[in-house]
Amino acid sequence: MSGSPETATGTIYDIGYRGYDGARLGRRGAIGAIVGAGLRAVFGLGRSARSKILPWGAVVLAVVPAGVAVAIRVLAGDIIELYNYENYLWEIGALLPIFVAAQAPELVVNDMRHRVLPLYFSRPISRYDYVVSKLTALTLALLALTLLPVLILFAGRVLSAEDALGALGDEIGALPGIIGSGVLHAVVLASIGLAICAVAGRRAYAAGAVLAVFLIGSVMSGTFEAQGGALEGFAPFVNPLAILDGARQWLFGGTVAGSPVSGAGVALPIYGLAVAVILAVSWLVLAIRYRGVTT
Amino acid sequence: MPLISTRALTKRYPGGVTALDALSVDIDEGVIGLVGANGAGKSTLIKILLGLLPATEGGATVLDLDAATQGAAIRERVGYMPEHDCLPPDVSATEFVAHMARVSGLPRGAARERTADVLRHVGLYEERYRPIGGYSTGMKQRVKLAQALVHDPRLLFLDEPTNGLDPAGRDEMLDLIERIGRDFGITVVVASHLLGEIERVAGWLVAIDAGRLLRTAPLASFTERTGQLLVETEEEGESLAARLAGRGIEALADGRTVLVDLASGGGGEYEVYDAVRDEAVELGLAIVRIEHRRHRLEDLFRDGGADERVA
Repeated sequence: MSGSPETATGTIYDIGYRGYDGARLGRRGAIGAIVGAGLRAVFGLGRSARSKILPWGAVVLAVVPAGVAVAIRVLAGDIIELYNYENYLWEIGALLPIFVAAQAPELVVNDMRHRVLPLYFSRPISRYDYVVSKLTALTLALLALTLLPVLILFAGRVLSAEDALGALGDEIGALPGIIGSGVLHAVVLASIGLAICAVAGRRAYAAGAVLAVFLIGSVMSGTFEAQGGALEGFAPFVNPLAILDGARQWLFGGTVAGSPVSGAGVALPIYGLAVAVILAVSWLVLAIRYRGVTT
Repeated sequence: MPLISTRALTKRYPGGVTALDALSVDIDEGVIGLVGANGAGKSTLIKILLGLLPATEGGATVLDLDAATQGAAIRERVGYMPEHDCLPPDVSATEFVAHMARVSGLPRGAARERTADVLRHVGLYEERYRPIGGYSTGMKQRVKLAQALVHDPRLLFLDEPTNGLDPAGRDEMLDLIERIGRDFGITVVVASHLLGEIERVAGWLVAIDAGRLLRTAPLASFTERTGQLLVETEEEGESLAARLAGRGIEALADGRTVLVDLASGGGGEYEVYDAVRDEAVELGLAIVRIEHRRHRLEDLFRDGGADERVA
């Protein structure tokens, strides 16, 4: 049998259909795959160079101030402090809506518009698994803007000190606030962004709607502040970024110059409540929208 | 244990539409045709079996799993090709099918390997690296089939798989379905309102109408010989029918065709053949063709009391 010439030579056979007996990761594997693919989509990985420009540009612009602040500290010492852990996210605030407006539609609009969702739902996940996976992907992506730069600032301050270990001891107390506020910003912005995208039918509409919410909010907030009086108390609550800053102050402390929160004179827990309302509304919109998708 | 089993399955939509009405049917391995007119309840049945839609009454098991409570486990081992367009235009077939494999639970490496295999089986080659938006309808249908097949399901639901295809594309799709059932060893449930197509691929038929089971049987029994001989003549067949009747053979003329009952006359089938031949010769009647009449699939819906004819 071993000596038969047919098996000895390198013949090519059509091996036909092969089954699959390997591992099946089920729902967990599915969620991991959707989160992974979502991150790739947000950052334009495996796509054209053009679709990488905006997300990576935003990440670079978000990180640059931290680099500058660290460089100044190394070169000139502790004379000026442009950016600290408290004000960093407020200062780069404009980048966040732009990133969400440009990249959140990538995650959900095509699946809805081209009716890909029935293919997802005919697999071992529920429609809520799908939404949570997409939210997770966008939240993780946003951490590149809301957490990474501040961590770089943190690392720079520790490493640039003469006594790095001593500096670590001084700075380490800020770490929970850095991480907490980064995650808070990421989760809230991702929820608002996806909720708007899920309702908008096309990518362009979705992007426009996200930008409009933040831009109009910011302009109205500025106007209210300038008016002063009773209106100033409402100024932070029409701008999601100001609400986030208020919630950050409530949880982790530290005021920010230029934020309408300081002038409003509203008790800080109210900002926490406002965040809870934003999340509840966003998630409700997502739940209703995706429950209505026919398979 | 059958692969699919439904018990008095009923689905009523809010607003009073009854899509399924106490449907009880067992489905075993093979290529199964699920036939019925548009709106007969085919898609509703598939969605309930996938665990995506709760039944109003009754229940169903798929691969021994309960459709109402174990939907996710069912969907891990079942493939589904929807009727409508469902592909994103801006990714390639390779990327999309591999992603769908992973959402079915396959690890990354296996997903990639099986994607390559399956796209080859459905007949997508060089074009699989190009964005799907530029594909023809036929190519898109192949991608839809590939994503349903990529995780090596035990059972495949295809909802109107030849929708929108030209005759050549339709033939290729039907060949593919036949191969999946025969060579791949995967049970295929093909929902269609086109009887001619079902006839070509299915070995077993489940016919539903207005949510009720009309009949479930091997395809052959739907199209088996009847006890009638159809004689087509060149002129009016009245005279032939009359002469056969004179011999005690039941014959019915309808224009130029005469239907002859093979069991009548008392002499058996061959006696009837001889009688037809002899009488035709005596009348000088030219015979165009003689054949055993077969049941036709269409008769099922016509005789089943269905108001709507199946196209």
